[in-house]
Amino acid sequence: MRMVYRFRQDVFVRTFFIFSFSLFPFAFSLIGHTQTPPTFGVVRLKVRYKSSEGTKDLPRKRFFLIKGSIDQNRALIEKIKQTSLASLECYYRSQGASEALIKWLKDNDCESVYCREMEDKYLSGAEAVPEFQKAFEQALNELKNREVARRWLTNYLAPEIRSGFYDEKQKTIQALLSGTEATTKAKVMSIMTDRKGTGYLTNIEPGTYTISNVVASETDKTSIVWICEREVKATDLGTAMKRPMMLSNEADPKVKCEVIERPLAACN
Amino acid sequence: MTKRAFIFILVCVGVAALASAQTRRRPRTSRPATQTQAPRGSAAKYSAFLHSSDKHKSLACNECHKVPTKWAAKRDFPDVADFPDHDACVRCHRQQFFTRQSMIGTGPAICTVCHVRAAPREDMRFAFGKPNNSAQQAKAKDERQFTIEFPHDQHQNVIARWRGVQSVRLESHHGLKSLKADDKKSDYNNCSICHQTDMSLAIVALAAPNTDPAMLHPYKSMPRSHDSCFNCHWKSQKPVAGDCAGCHAPAATFIPELGRKRISAKFAHEGGKGEHIAECTTCHINITRASTTRGLTPDVPINTCAACHRDSKKTTYPKAVTIETELDQFKKTGECTYCHAADVGKKRPPPSHDAAVQ
Repeated sequence: MRMVYRFRQDVFVRTFFIFSFSLFPFAFSLIGHTQTPPTFGVVRLKVRYKSSEGTKDLPRKRFFLIKGSIDQNRALIEKIKQTSLASLECYYRSQGASEALIKWLKDNDCESVYCREMEDKYLSGAEAVPEFQKAFEQALNELKNREVARRWLTNYLAPEIRSGFYDEKQKTIQALLSGTEATTKAKVMSIMTDRKGTGYLTNIEPGTYTISNVVASETDKTSIVWICEREVKATDLGTAMKRPMMLSNEADPKVKCEVIERPLAACN
Repeated sequence: MTKRAFIFILVCVGVAALASAQTRRRPRTSRPATQTQAPRGSAAKYSAFLHSSDKHKSLACNECHKVPTKWAAKRDFPDVADFPDHDACVRCHRQQFFTRQSMIGTGPAICTVCHVRAAPREDMRFAFGKPNNSAQQAKAKDERQFTIEFPHDQHQNVIARWRGVQSVRLESHHGLKSLKADDKKSDYNNCSICHQTDMSLAIVALAAPNTDPAMLHPYKSMPRSHDSCFNCHWKSQKPVAGDCAGCHAPAATFIPELGRKRISAKFAHEGGKGEHIAECTTCHINITRASTTRGLTPDVPINTCAACHRDSKKTTYPKAVTIETELDQFKKTGECTYCHAADVGKKRPPPSHDAAVQ
C-alpha cells in the first residue's frame, strides 16, 4: 500500500515539474501585459515669469534641449549670454513700421505678419494698418479678386515688415547652435510651450542636459533667457506630468538655472 | 482525490495561460503606402507620363508648367490649374501624335495622359490638381509622382497665440468661409489656419443617443490645395509659387493613402460635451517637435486624456466618462465602447491605460 502511495507521489511530482516546465514559455506572454520599465526620459517643462502684473505663464516660446551639463556647454552658454537682440518694437520702429502695425503685432504676441488672418477691419476704418492697406491695393490690382487679395496680402509686403524680426531671431538661433550637435554628438531637440507655458520633451536618452530658450523671450517689460540643467532619468509620461520642471525668473533652489533678465530697452 | 484535484487545477492554469497567450495583442504591422509602378512596354508606354524619365528630369518645371495657368473657371485663386499646353508635349513627341502607327486602334495613346479620350477633336481633359471645382472627370487612379516637403515646426513658429475670439472657419471644398458672428467660439493657437473641422468625413455608425452633431465630424482636415500655401508663398516669401522643387520632391509613382487609421475612432475634437476646448498642443504633445510631416502621426498619449477623464477629476469634470469606468466595463462586457470602435475596443486595454489613472 505504501509502495503504491510513493509511486503515485513520484508520478505527481514528475507531472508537476514537467507541466511547470512546459508553461515556462507562456510566462513571457503574461509579462507582456505588464508595464515594461521605461528606457527613455520625459521632461514636462512649465515656464512662468513674475512681473509687476503678477505671475504669468510664458506661452508660445521655443525651448531647446542640448546634451551635456551647463559646465560642459560653457562655451555655448557664454555666447548665449553675450547675445542680445533688438526687441520686437525696436526692430519694427527701426524699419519705419507704423504705430498701427506695431500694435497689431503686439496685441497677439506676433513675431511676424503670418500669425493672424488679415481681417477686413485692418484694411479700412479706425483700426486700419497702413502697410496692409497698401499691400491690399497692390494685391487687388494684380489678383483681381478681393477675397483672394485679402487672404494673400502678405505676399505684397516688404520682407522686413513681413517677417524681418522673426528671420533675425532664427538666424541668431541657428548661428548660436551651429556646431552644437557636432560637439555634443547628439541632436538638439526643441519644443514650443503652449498657452499655459507647458511643453513636453519626450523620448530623451537618460543623461544630463541643458535646457534653454537660447535667445531672450520678451515678457511685459523685460526679456528673459533661461539656461537650466536637468538630469534626465528613464521615466514615463505619467510621472513626468506629475513632476514638471518649473522654470521661472524667481530663484528656485530646486532647479539649477542661470536666468538672465534684462529690462526691454527704450527704442531710439 | 485531493491530488487529482490539484492536477486538475494545474491543467486549468495551463489552459488559462495558453488562452492568455492567444489573446496577447500582436504587434501591428504597418502597411506601407501602395507603390505602383507606372505601366511599361510599348503599348502603354506613352499613355502614362513619368516625370522621372531621363528626358523629363532634365527639364525645368516651368518649361512645361505655367504658373499660373488660366484658372478662373477652375479655381477661385491663381493656380496651376491645368495640364501644360500641346506644345510642351508635341515639341518632343511629334511621332507619338502624328505618325500612322500612332493612329492605329483607339488613337494616339499619348493623348490620354491629359485627355479623357484619344480623339482628334476631344477637348475634354481630366481634372488637374485640386480642388476640382468644375467637376471635371478625375483619372481612375489618384497617382502621384511627388511627395510634399513641409517643415511643420517652422510653420508652427510663425503662428501665434490667439487671445480673443476667432470666428470658426469651415472648409468648403477649398475656400475658407467665415461663419456668422453667433457661431463664434474660443480658439487658441491657430493650427486651424491649416486644420479645420473636416465636414466631409463623419462617423455614421453612432447610435441614436450619441448623435451629438460634434461627433458626426470628429476629424480635422489637412491642406489639400495650393491655396493653403500660396496665401504666404505666392511671391516674395520663399519658396514661391514657381519654385515647384521648394515643396515637391520626386518620388516613385504612388497612390496616397487617404484613409486615416484611428485608434480612438469615437473621439471628436469638437465633442467632449463641449469641453474639448484645450489647445491642440495640450494633447498633441510631440507636434511642436516635428520638423517634417514625413511619418508624422497625430499621436496623443492616454495620459493627456487622463488629465480630465479619470475618477479623481470627477469634481472638476462631472460629465466626463472616466478611464476607470471603461476599464470596469471591459471586465464585465469585454469591450471598451466610449472611445473605441469594436476593432480596438475588444482588445485587452494596454498597460498604459491602467498606469495613466494610477
